[in-house]
Amino acid sequence: MSETLSAPRATPPRPRVRVPVRSPRTGRKQGRALGGPLTPIPWLLPALALVGVLLVYPFLRSVYGSLFEDNGFERSFVGLDNYARLAEDPIFSRSLLNTLMWVVGTLLLPVLLGLLIAVATHRMRLGGVIQLLVVLPYAISGAATAVLWNFMLTSDGAINQVLRAVGLDSLAHPWLLEWPHNTIAMIVASTWQGTGLNVVLFAIGLRAIPRETLEAAALDGATGWRLFRHVTFPQLKAVTVVVVGMAIVNSLKAFDMIWVLTKGGPSRSSETLALTMYRETFRLFHVGYGSAIALVLTVVVVASAWIYLRRQMPESARS
Amino acid sequence: MPARSHALHRPPPLARRTLLTAATAGLLATACGSAMSQPAGKVALHGDNNDWREPLVRAGDAMRSVAGVELVPEVIPSMESFEQIVKSSLRTRKTPDMLKYWSGYRLMDLARTGGIEELTGAWDTAESAGWVDPTLRPAFTYRDRVYGLPMNLTYWVFFHNTEVFADLGLRAPTTWPEFLDACAALKAAGITPLHATTDGRWPAFIWFMEVLSRQDPDFYEGLMNGRERYTDPRAERALTTIAEFADNDWFTALDTNHVDAAASVVRGSLGMMPGGTFMTPNLINAGGEPGRDIDAFVLPMARAETPPAVIFESSALVCTVKGPDREEALEAAAAWLHPEVAGAFSSTLQDGSPNPGVAPANPLLDGVVSTVRERGARMLNRFWELGPPELVEATVDDLAGFLLNPSSARSTLATMQERADDAWQVWREAEKS
Repeated sequence: MSETLSAPRATPPRPRVRVPVRSPRTGRKQGRALGGPLTPIPWLLPALALVGVLLVYPFLRSVYGSLFEDNGFERSFVGLDNYARLAEDPIFSRSLLNTLMWVVGTLLLPVLLGLLIAVATHRMRLGGVIQLLVVLPYAISGAATAVLWNFMLTSDGAINQVLRAVGLDSLAHPWLLEWPHNTIAMIVASTWQGTGLNVVLFAIGLRAIPRETLEAAALDGATGWRLFRHVTFPQLKAVTVVVVGMAIVNSLKAFDMIWVLTKGGPSRSSETLALTMYRETFRLFHVGYGSAIALVLTVVVVASAWIYLRRQMPESARS
Repeated sequence: MPARSHALHRPPPLARRTLLTAATAGLLATACGSAMSQPAGKVALHGDNNDWREPLVRAGDAMRSVAGVELVPEVIPSMESFEQIVKSSLRTRKTPDMLKYWSGYRLMDLARTGGIEELTGAWDTAESAGWVDPTLRPAFTYRDRVYGLPMNLTYWVFFHNTEVFADLGLRAPTTWPEFLDACAALKAAGITPLHATTDGRWPAFIWFMEVLSRQDPDFYEGLMNGRERYTDPRAERALTTIAEFADNDWFTALDTNHVDAAASVVRGSLGMMPGGTFMTPNLINAGGEPGRDIDAFVLPMARAETPPAVIFESSALVCTVKGPDREEALEAAAAWLHPEVAGAFSSTLQDGSPNPGVAPANPLLDGVVSTVRERGARMLNRFWELGPPELVEATVDDLAGFLLNPSSARSTLATMQERADDAWQVWREAEKS
């Protein structure tokens, strides 16, 4: 024991282990070994080419094309005349108004209805079944939905027959023949199809709200509308951003249902910007004028998306 | 070990290169090749109507036996998409070999591109053999050259239910007053007398075409060819007549399509449906039988002293210049009006034939053809085929607006004339170039 204390055993020297240390110098060496600052370019090229060919070039080509009067075979430079014509064209004005109606209608109906159904069925016993039924129409294509609604909306269709059967003849209407009824009727048809997805998204959002939060609010006396307004809804913000964003985009690109139900008619009364662009470009072969409309539609879509996302996205995500 | 495994599973370096080469070659072949070329002895014919598929197959069978060429129908079941594809592909090597196209100005529009073959020789041969009605020639001619051959010959008539007419003591009207009396009698019996529709856009022109061509066929032809003006009192008179029909509540709801209208005629809840004889199958499918309970008449002239006229419609068989099977397409065109081919086609389609030697496909058609020939009715091409296509496309929407608001006759005509001024100016300038 004392021996141990008095004569401590010398510990053998540990072998020196070289810990790799990254220095700026070695970093540069490695980078150089991989090819330098231009190395990522080849990897980016496919993506850049895809965006360039499918997005940037068509956009620039449309901008260029909108400066010409072009019937598909011959063209002449007209400067900004196509844009000046837009301002005077009553069909374009109606089309712009219809597009606005689609945006407002799609925001009001499918989004609010989706939220309402999701909240109402959230804790219901057969809520899942109800949600499933509401989602089913989403599985049907836009064109098939339009054919189905055609049976309902014609003058002798199901809706008017029901109205007449219950003695509400005065409410029966040629829904697809007169503006603005035709646009409103198609927004309703679109709502029938599109609400289901919003219900699913809001239902997911509701399930993600911590139970403790709701219980704490309930203990503080919050119930009903106050609970929803001040506790539940604020926690659905992330989902709402997605749902509203999708609603804006869907409303601006509405085409198939309108095309099948009315072809934008009668007398071009139910056209939206997308339909007007299609008709002018591909039916009337006013390619330059159609390009100008396409550009206006692009500006509307990009501006709406930018303004909306800038307001709604958290600062951190934007930076 | 991992290194060994890696070595074992790494594909040989050549494989990737081979794959890339093959993919590139495939892409190039797709981009440059003529993918639509048919095997020898076959030629593709592209159209926009699925109902024409079977008749074209039957015509192709007959053509194989008379000319050794078989038709392969290709259908793009949307008028809009079809026209788009034709116009965008005509100057490329991906264009279809043969097309079912429209006659009149739409055909001229296509001929002006230089993308379709002249068929004057085929027409002359057919005409000298008595295989084609020579009165149809102007509808297929541009600058004195023929660019299409007539495929069918539709007459625009008024379908009606003979049993309903008999019950009301009516017969197919042969004078304008008889036509008006029939409408009044049907209305009094609780039957909607006339079908009118804007469904599908294009049918909006039907009533304007029918009434104007019966009131003044010369003016109709002049107006449609840009020699007269829409603001003329004769055009206004036609719209006023239509407005009177609407005021009398003689029309169906304007969103009633032709299929439903045909069924209503067969059921007896609709008195008369204006339409082309190509719509006869709609009535047959609804349970009607031409010659038994379903018949058709040509709308009488508004004034008895005006020589009779009838609206016709005839699709054009067109050969493209750059189609992959151009030679076979021209052979097929030369055989198209052969009685066996034209007969097989029209009997399956249940529509009229441009070959006067072909027997009418059903009793209804037989009656119409007999009437037209006996009276020597003047053949007027349909509204859709007359005038610059751009103008027709726009005025159809104007006429739809008028049908919805029949008090807007004057403003409608003024708008149509504005469009006509612009469209004819563009058309004539293009003619000069």
